[in-house]
Amino acid sequence: MTDAAANALMIDGEKTVSALFARRVEEDAGKVALREKDFGVWNEYSWADWGERASAVAHGLWHLGLQRGEVCSVAAEVCKEWLFADLGIITAGAVTNGVYPTDASNQVEYLINDSGSTFYFAENEEQLDKVLEVRANTPSLRYIIIFDMEGLRHLDDPMCLSFDALLELGRRHREQAPSMWQESIDQASPDDLMILTYTSGTTGPPKGAMISQRNMLFMMANLTDCLGFDEHDEQLGFLPIAHVAGRMFYVFSLIASRSLVNLIEDPETAMSDLQEVAPSVHFAVPRVWEKQYSMIAIKLKEGTAFGRWAFARALRSGEAIARHALAGERAGLLARARHLLWDKLVLRNVRILLGINSARWLSTAAAPIAPDLIAWYWALGRPMYEIYGQTECTGIATANRPGATRLGSIGKACMETDVVLSEAGEILIRGPGVIAGYWNKPEKTAETIRDGWLHTGDVGRVDEDGYLTIVDRMKDIIITAGGKNITPSEIENQLKFSPFVSDAVVVGDRRPYLTCLVMIDLDNVTKFAQDNNVPFTNYTSLCHAEAVVELIGQEVEAVNSRFARVETVKKFRLIDQLLDAEDEELTPTMKLKRKVVNEKYAELIEAMYR
Amino acid sequence: MSDLLTLSNVETYYGPVMAIRGVSMTVRTGDVTCLLGANGAGKTTVLKTISGAMEPQKGEILFNGESLKGLAPDVIARRGIAHVPEGREVFAFLSVEDNLKMGAYSRRDSRVASDLALVYDYFPVLRDKRRQSAALLSGGQQQMLAIGRALMLRPQLMLLDEPSLGLSPKLVAEIADIIVRLNQEQGVTVLLVEQNAAMALSRSDFGYVLENGRIVMEDKAAVLADAPDVQEFYLGMKDDGVRGGRRWKKRKTWR
Repeated sequence: MTDAAANALMIDGEKTVSALFARRVEEDAGKVALREKDFGVWNEYSWADWGERASAVAHGLWHLGLQRGEVCSVAAEVCKEWLFADLGIITAGAVTNGVYPTDASNQVEYLINDSGSTFYFAENEEQLDKVLEVRANTPSLRYIIIFDMEGLRHLDDPMCLSFDALLELGRRHREQAPSMWQESIDQASPDDLMILTYTSGTTGPPKGAMISQRNMLFMMANLTDCLGFDEHDEQLGFLPIAHVAGRMFYVFSLIASRSLVNLIEDPETAMSDLQEVAPSVHFAVPRVWEKQYSMIAIKLKEGTAFGRWAFARALRSGEAIARHALAGERAGLLARARHLLWDKLVLRNVRILLGINSARWLSTAAAPIAPDLIAWYWALGRPMYEIYGQTECTGIATANRPGATRLGSIGKACMETDVVLSEAGEILIRGPGVIAGYWNKPEKTAETIRDGWLHTGDVGRVDEDGYLTIVDRMKDIIITAGGKNITPSEIENQLKFSPFVSDAVVVGDRRPYLTCLVMIDLDNVTKFAQDNNVPFTNYTSLCHAEAVVELIGQEVEAVNSRFARVETVKKFRLIDQLLDAEDEELTPTMKLKRKVVNEKYAELIEAMYR
Repeated sequence: MSDLLTLSNVETYYGPVMAIRGVSMTVRTGDVTCLLGANGAGKTTVLKTISGAMEPQKGEILFNGESLKGLAPDVIARRGIAHVPEGREVFAFLSVEDNLKMGAYSRRDSRVASDLALVYDYFPVLRDKRRQSAALLSGGQQQMLAIGRALMLRPQLMLLDEPSLGLSPKLVAEIADIIVRLNQEQGVTVLLVEQNAAMALSRSDFGYVLENGRIVMEDKAAVLADAPDVQEFYLGMKDDGVRGGRRWKKRKTWR
C-alpha cells in the first residue's frame, strides 16, 4: 500500500470512525459540535455532550440486550437525537439503518424485515404509529424508542420507551460497567459493517448498501480533501440523514474535520434558517438550488425594470470574473474594480437573501443539475462544486474542486479511486469507498460489483483533461424508433431550469418522437395564474387552464430550440394531481421516479402517441 | 342551470395584506353553494367583495352576466344580492318589524306587506316580538331577523356568513332547515359560508374549500363530504390509528 493510500484509510491516526469519534469527544470536549433550533432558540451541544449521549445510548441498548452486528433503524427528520442515536449505535458495534420519515408503513415493514432490525428509533407519534401498524409482521423487532413523546404521555406498551428513558437506562448501566464503551470502540475494526443505506431500486425492492467503517472513514478523508473543511466551518443541516449525502455532510464530515452543524427547526423553516445561519460551507441537492434560483427569478419579475437591469448587469460582471476564476486566472484590474461595485450594490444582497453570503463554497450532488445553474451561482460570486458518487461507493468518487473545476462535468476521480469507462461507456469505480455488497442479496451484489469494480449504471465520457461528464443513466437512454440515442436527463435538466417546472420526465424509447410529462411548480404557476387573471380553483383545474398549458408549452419550446430536431419534445402533458413525498411517484427529495411515472401515467403517455 | 354569479381571479387586500388570492368560483342559479374554510381563510372577505363592501384589486365578478365592478354596495343590493353578515348586525335600537322593513328599503313594489307576512310565517317568533327592540332578541332570534331582513329584499342571491355562529345545535339545525326551505320554496340562490362543515355540506348542492385565500377543492357537496382531507380537517372524522387517539395530522393533499 502506498503512503497516500494508507493515509486515506486513517484520520488523525485512527482507523475507525468509532475511534475517531471517541478521540474528538475527548480532545474537543468543550467545543460545540452541533446546534439545534428549538422554539426559535439555538441550543448548543458540545462534543462531550454528544459523546455522553452516544455512550448512554450504547449502554441503554446493551441493557436491553443489543449484540454487536445487530441492525437498529432510525426514522426521523434531521434532529440532534438522530446524531446521538447514530453514534451510540455505531460505537456499540451495531449497525444504523436510516428510514425516511416519509416512508409509508408498508415500506417500514419491508425495511425492518429486510434488515432484520431489532431496535427501531421513531421520531414522534406519527413515526411510531407507522411501525405499530406493522409490528405484528416484524418478528425481529424487540424495542421501539421514541424521540419526541409529545402526545404520548399515556402510552403504555412494553415494547416502547422514550429516548430519555433509554438514556437513563444507559446511564445506570454505565455506572455498573464504566469501561464497556471504550472497550467496544477499541474492538471496532475497519471491516465492521457500520451503516446500511437502502437505495431505491428501480428494478425490484430497495437494497441495503453495506457501508463499513473503512468505507466511511475513507469517504470522510476524501470529502475533506476535495472540498476542504476545517474546524471553524459551520453547516446548516436540513436534508434527510437517511440519505447518504445527509449522512456524509452533517454527521461524518463533522467528525473528520471537527466542524459544526446547525440543525433546522423544521423542514418548513429550512430557507429562513439558512438565511439566519449563513453557513461557511453549504451542500444541497439540485432541487434546492433550483428552488433558490426560481425564487430570485420570480422576485426579479415582480421587481422594477431598474432592478432587473441592475441585476442583469451585475450578473454579467460576475460571469466575467467567474470565467477568469474557472480558467485559473485573474480578471483585469478594471473589470475587478467594476465588479467590486456591482458586487457590493447588487450581488451581495442576493447572496444574503439566499443565505449563502458567508459560504466559502457551495456543493451539489445526488442528482443531475443544469450546468447553467452552477454557472449562475459562480456569477453570484460563490464557487459551486459538483461532486459525484453513489451510495455504493459511499457517496463520492469524483469531484470538482477548488482550482480544478469544469462546469457541466463531475470533475476528476478522488484520491485512491479508480474511475474508468467500460466499452459501453459505463462508469466503473474501484477504491476503498466501494462497499462490499448489499445486505443479504448476494445475487444483486454480484450484478453490481464485479472483481472490485462498481458498475454504476451511469454512462459517462472523459474529456482530454480527464474531466468526467455524466451522459445519463444507462437504462434511461432513449433510443427512438428512428434509432437515435437520446439522453433524457439533458433535456429534463434544461426544463427544470424554468421556474414554472418542478420536474419533468422525457419519454420516447422505441417511439417515433419524444414526449414529456411535466410537474409544475405550484407556487410559481399559481402566481403566474393570479398575475395573468387565469381563473382556476384547485390543482387539477390549474393544470388544465389553457394559459398554463401555453406557458409550459413556451418553456418546452424554449428548451427545444437548444436541441437538434430529433431531440425536441413534440408533445407534453401536465401531471394534474398534486403529488406529495408520500406518493410513490416521488422520491423523498421530491423528484419524479421515471419508472413509476411511466407506469402510472401510461394512459396519458399513450395519448401523446395517438 | 345557468351561472348566477361568477368570480374570476379575484384578489382583495386589507392594506398591504392580500386576503383572497385569485379566487375563482361559480354559483349556479337555484343552488345552495357552500364555501368552507378555517379561521382567516378569507371566507368573509369573499362575501364582502361580492356585496361591494370591499373593492377587489383585481379580477372580475359577474352577476347575471353583468360585471359588478366599481358598483356601490347599495347598487349591488338593488340588483338582488342580499348579504347577511357575520354576527347578524341587526339594528339594535329599531323594533323587529322596523328591522325587517329596512330590508325592503330599496323596494318600490306593492308586495312588501305580503312579504312581511311571509317572513313572519317562516319565523313565527319574530311576529310575536315584532314590537320589541331587536337588541332584546336572543342570538338565534337575531339570526332569524337578519335572514328575514335579507329576505325582505326579495333577493336572487343570498350571501350567508356563518349563520350557525354561536347557536345551539338545535337552533343550528333549525336555521339550516329554513335556509333549505327558502331555497326550495322561494327560489333564493344561496352562497353559504360556514365553519360548521357538517351542517353546510349536508344542506348544499355544491361546495368549495378555501385555504389561505385560495380555493383548494371544489366538488358536489356529497363528493366533498367523502373526501379524506375534508373528513379529517373539516368534519373531525379520523381513524384513531393503531393506538387509539391519533393526534398528528396527515399532510393535506386536497384530493
